[in-house]
Amino acid sequence: MSDKILHEDQKYIDGLAENNTFIIQTIYDKFAPKVINYIKQNSGDVYDAQDVIQETIITIYNQAKQKQLQLTCPFDAYFFLLCKRKWLNQLKKANTKEVTINEEILSKEEDAQVLSFESTVFENKEALFNEMFQQLGEACKELLKATFKIKSMEEVAKSLDISYAYARKKKSLCIGQLTKLVKASPKFNQLNY
Amino acid sequence: MEDQDYIMFEAYLSGDLSADELNAFNERLNTDEQFQKAFKMYRDLSSHLEHNITNEQESADFKANLDVISNQYFNKIDDPIGTTTDESGKSNFYKYAIAASVILLLGIFVFNQFNTPTYKDYNNFEPISLTVRSSDNAIFNQAEQSFNAKNYEEALVAFNSILEEDFSNLEIQLYKGIALVETNQFEEADDLLKKLSQGNSAYKHKAKWILALSYLKQENKLACIETLKTIPKEAEDYKRAQDLLKKLE
Repeated sequence: MSDKILHEDQKYIDGLAENNTFIIQTIYDKFAPKVINYIKQNSGDVYDAQDVIQETIITIYNQAKQKQLQLTCPFDAYFFLLCKRKWLNQLKKANTKEVTINEEILSKEEDAQVLSFESTVFENKEALFNEMFQQLGEACKELLKATFKIKSMEEVAKSLDISYAYARKKKSLCIGQLTKLVKASPKFNQLNY
Repeated sequence: MEDQDYIMFEAYLSGDLSADELNAFNERLNTDEQFQKAFKMYRDLSSHLEHNITNEQESADFKANLDVISNQYFNKIDDPIGTTTDESGKSNFYKYAIAASVILLLGIFVFNQFNTPTYKDYNNFEPISLTVRSSDNAIFNQAEQSFNAKNYEEALVAFNSILEEDFSNLEIQLYKGIALVETNQFEEADDLLKKLSQGNSAYKHKAKWILALSYLKQENKLACIETLKTIPKEAEDYKRAQDLLKKLE
């Protein structure tokens, strides 16, 4: 992936990461109508579309912020696939009524398929990480919050009244603990590790 | 993985390994698949925590901004006016009503040309709607009702308790700004509105407009003019701002 050329639409990704109001508005103006149409044609309404689009944009923002998103295809195709997959997953979960899915000819863009799939995995990962973080012991939670908020380990140690070496060791063990929790979760298999 | 491995991961990520240790680390990364997998997960978790904890405020700002833009967009496409093709007598009524109100507005406009503008000419704020998406929340309900009933003292109490829970809610901050101006708490209002107008949210231009109105109410003509001039063409209140500017200059 890294040897591929960035698509010019990377500007949307960067704009989201910068919380650029103009870019966000442009994304709505240019790319929302197609998603709204699709959801309306597939058992949803405009409110469903609003939620799906908003959640999708937050996923892209989170991924972009962690510098894990390099667009090698048009934003349009990527964004649509991501919204579409999210909507189909929601329909599957709800599963209350007979679902009619109007398959249409999808973009043949292979990159868009791959990238949107990676974003879906990323989203699942984030959700599981959040869930598992809540299961950590209070001491670990507190220490991790402090280390990532304060940055300087010396200050963290001081604020928690422990030695620098211990604070640092504790940080790695707490993240280690978290990796074990994540691995033990039944949802771990969806994460592509 | 052993505790020792996690300690190594952390040292690697913070760039604290010596050259020898680094070589050994990379070697193991290339040959030991379990080690590599565990490291990838550690790295991802670390990056996740950093994003979620370090950038908590930034992310909250982003979400608040996104919320506004999303609502603006969907309100626009939901808006039945402009999409109705109703050609019955009812729509004629609206045509006349609109014509009548245009004439009325023109009258007010001409009349106002000969008067010094005051805050009262401009403080007809649109009703706010906070409960569409969080209808279960009593405090949002109270804030909305008090604000729309122009009971700004009570609205302020509600806004404050919302902000206690969610201090980065920019929409509420803006409405709080309006309520502060209405209740003549100018110092706090101006501080808040300045902060909002210097930010990068969808509310920044609205905040400038309210700030200008605050100065107008304080009869600080110069500051009002200066603020009005910063409202750009694409802002929703541009026309009103220009109109007020003409009257002041």
